[in-house]
Amino acid sequence: MKTRIIITIIFVSLGLIIAAVPENTTKPYKLTANELLDEVKSGTQFVHPDQVADMVVQQDPTLQLIDIRSKEEFEKYSLPGAINVPLNDLLSDEWKPYLNQDIYLNVLYSNGTTRANEAWMITRQLGYKNNYVLQGGLNYWVETVLNPEKPGMTSPDDEFAKYNYRKAASNALGGGGAIEQKQDVKPAKLPPIKKGNKKKMVQGGCS
Amino acid sequence: MEKEMRKKKSRSYINPYIGGILLGLTVLLANYISGRGVGASGAMKSTIVAAVESIAPKHADDAMFYKEYSESHAGNPLNSWLVYQMLGVLVGGFLSGILARRMTWKVEHSPKITSRTRLIFALLGGVLFGFGSQLGRGCTSGSALSGMAVLSLGGFISMMAIFGTAFALAYFVRKLWI
Amino acid sequence: MGPLIVNDIISSNTNLFLAFFIGIAFGFVLESSGFSSSRKLVGVFYGYDTVVLKVFFTGAITAMIGLLFFSLFGWIDLTYIYINPTYLWSTIIGGVIMGAGFILGGFCPGTSVCAAAIGKIDAIIFVVGIFIGIFIFTEGYPIWKPLYMAEFMGNLKINTFFNISSGTLVMLVIFAAAVMFWIGEWAEKKFKAPKY
Repeated sequence: MKTRIIITIIFVSLGLIIAAVPENTTKPYKLTANELLDEVKSGTQFVHPDQVADMVVQQDPTLQLIDIRSKEEFEKYSLPGAINVPLNDLLSDEWKPYLNQDIYLNVLYSNGTTRANEAWMITRQLGYKNNYVLQGGLNYWVETVLNPEKPGMTSPDDEFAKYNYRKAASNALGGGGAIEQKQDVKPAKLPPIKKGNKKKMVQGGCS
Repeated sequence: MEKEMRKKKSRSYINPYIGGILLGLTVLLANYISGRGVGASGAMKSTIVAAVESIAPKHADDAMFYKEYSESHAGNPLNSWLVYQMLGVLVGGFLSGILARRMTWKVEHSPKITSRTRLIFALLGGVLFGFGSQLGRGCTSGSALSGMAVLSLGGFISMMAIFGTAFALAYFVRKLWI
Repeated sequence: MGPLIVNDIISSNTNLFLAFFIGIAFGFVLESSGFSSSRKLVGVFYGYDTVVLKVFFTGAITAMIGLLFFSLFGWIDLTYIYINPTYLWSTIIGGVIMGAGFILGGFCPGTSVCAAAIGKIDAIIFVVGIFIGIFIFTEGYPIWKPLYMAEFMGNLKINTFFNISSGTLVMLVIFAAAVMFWIGEWAEKKFKAPKY
């Protein structure tokens, strides 16, 4: 009984203090030119097509594909679930909530990597997080995921595994080619998601 | 006599508010060191995954859950933060039990039901809790307590759903307890 | 500056090693607060023993205030703390199922392990049940997956959701807890505890 009153008094006063002081918003995050150069050099912004294909197949709700090509190109062909944010309109207010957010993993793509990379650098300079670039762009996507090249006979096992995996993904994503069965091969381990931050992210919760 | 019994009881368990503060400090420490809260059901899931992987490796390769799990978790599932933490919980509970002389083999139940009934309901409750903890991404410790500590919306919803449901059902199963 | 693991102050092996000691503290606190007794735990739902309410909320509030003060003093960078993601429907339905499990089984996973550690047979059976429940989930995963993934809201904080500062939110939680503690102690006087 007495403890409750002491506890209540302590907590309420601490609560009032914490409500009254301004939140410690660690400096609005903007990169210096050097930091940006470091990130560009280390290429941490790139996500491998296998990783993206896997997320698309698994219908991972955290993935948001962003097509930064023009509207015409987007209508002709786009990846499943992608939204179109043409590079020219990148800074319009309409797209800001998509680019500056901390819910989804945005993967920007263009035909090659150049335009997507430009878009990424702009968002990065603005201090936005969670934006990544599809490695190699759509061209490489088609090459690796939709029409994977069959490895040579002498290739190591995991090359075959990767190939079979991509074939399967390609099937799920509407590419050509049947899956070749090879019983004793495990699906290839996918490269882990590369986070743009130098610090590692913590895993947590009960997952 | 009754006063003496109450005195004895209050000595054997620590004051709940002090216990709460210590619990909060533990969660705080976990966040400070590892950037995450405490948990329980996650360790049991790792155990299940490890068991399936070693008993039926083929099944673990085929079934969706284990496949996705091994893709997102590298290495042995048992070599995880929560598993070590859970081993610590076993040791911690054991130490506290020894120090307070509470170590006994017993089935705790209301005098209105038999031990057998109690065990059947314990099993049923465990099955529900195990399933729910996976669907809800964590149990009372991992989702509700740790989630609330970091002000996660999910943590608050989880807490309200768990305690709300238990409270709503309490009347119907009162024979089990009082 | 924390979290230590993120800032490479400790290695990942040290992190696992420390997890064991955090676990010991966790288990010790749970057991010594009386969480190894199922009839004491469920007492909160009948009003005769509200130790769960007191320990749980005091714990959550202590951790909340602690994190905010640590951040204020620059001891911890809250942007690197794991925020549990919110998937609305699975959280609600999972929570409802867990609530039913709680009132039928009398434990939750953490407390059941504690109780099993001091020899409660019902707790050991409860742990067995948890394993079965998890196994049902993992085996039937394709069936539950749509529900499991539905209505993803991100790693959303409740204060962002209500658009207030985290300090204000914690203050409101403290007020709510103070009222609940008061009601809890009133209930303990009103409903007589059975002998257990």
